Amino acid sequence: MTSTAYETPKPPEHRANMAELVVAIAARQCRNSFAELFAYYAPRLKSYMMRLGSDSSQAEELSQEVMVTVWRKAVQYDPDKASVSTWIFRIARNRRIDAHRRLSRPDLEPDEPMLRPEEPEQPDDIVNRAQVEGVVRTALETLPAEQLVLLQAAFYDGLSHSEIADRFDLPLGTVKSRIRLAFNKLRGQLQSDP
Amino acid sequence: MSQPRETSIFGELYSGYAAGRLEPGFALLVETQAALRSDVAERVQVSEAIASAMLEREAPAEMGADALDRAFAAIDQLDKGAAISQRAATAAGAGIDEVMGLPEPLRDAVLHTMNHQSWQFTTPGIRRLSLDLEGDAETELYRLEPGVTVPRHTHAGSEFTLVVTGGFADELGAYGPGDLSVKGPEHTHQPVADMDGICYALAVRNGGLQFTGLVGAMQRILGV
Repeated sequence: MTSTAYETPKPPEHRANMAELVVAIAARQCRNSFAELFAYYAPRLKSYMMRLGSDSSQAEELSQEVMVTVWRKAVQYDPDKASVSTWIFRIARNRRIDAHRRLSRPDLEPDEPMLRPEEPEQPDDIVNRAQVEGVVRTALETLPAEQLVLLQAAFYDGLSHSEIADRFDLPLGTVKSRIRLAFNKLRGQLQSDP
Repeated sequence: MSQPRETSIFGELYSGYAAGRLEPGFALLVETQAALRSDVAERVQVSEAIASAMLEREAPAEMGADALDRAFAAIDQLDKGAAISQRAATAAGAGIDEVMGLPEPLRDAVLHTMNHQSWQFTTPGIRRLSLDLEGDAETELYRLEPGVTVPRHTHAGSEFTLVVTGGFADELGAYGPGDLSVKGPEHTHQPVADMDGICYALAVRNGGLQFTGLVGAMQRILGV
């Protein structure tokens, strides 16, 4: 199977299949399963590392290291808690956390949930975590391009809101409101309220 | 609650966390609070789902022809690191049961630190472990015996304290597991640990970080 055999966005069966591959590595050190995971993820991890400033050979090294970590930590993977992509993304993120690019002034809003007492859990909030991810991914497909590029800049490229405003030549307030709108839309889709 | 969740204002915290741009101490705070609270966990989860969907959308870069072989070669070299966590557990000694009961991201940071550092005894009933994280923020785990009073103190910058187990109260409020107390230079306080059980609290003090207007906002939320 070549790395270009998959198309994005991928159907849920694809993700279930990826989970089976990780489980096979954990259960019986299955090298064929690893090779299949590698074919899909290593080239994308390399692109991710290059996007964040690594040159081609560094990016290849880093993606190798991430995939070896995937092998090593396969026993810790829990399909009920995260998709394989999210689990691997976390490993990759932690591998390349950039000491020099930290947000020096994270913008905490007064209404930030972290600063409030816990919200009581609604009965319809209790959904399978893997299911939550699927819903978010499906909802992403319906977002207008102008919101999607801003989400990518914030959540994937890790730009601050003011950096995004500079890059896209938008007023800061517009950046904030578009990101907030998009994020709440993705979250709102998780709730069955009318 | 009367406040609809859809109106939650969203800042840079979760995107910064998901993309790996928060100070490590602050990232640990987010992870630990997410482990204690489902509302924070849900936002972290949505944020990471966005990031990982972007990873799936990446155009694949061309890998070296021997890339997979090299990965297998590296895998064959593994097996050495397995002793590390055992050493940490031994070093932890008597307190290990309590440490193992902490939420996972915090527990790992504590075990890692305890490999080469031990708890400091400050005043009776209070112990503190300075966590071994990179970054400018100072990150400490406190262990308070039931009912102990922390000597009155103030703060140079902002201090974020997350209650992990047990609880404490001070002049500004009472805090239980998952609650975050934010204090600034204008606050002098004398926290008293709750009577029912050991209180573990994770404190992050910013060196480079400044949260504009946050402490004021916090006061409004608490109505003080």
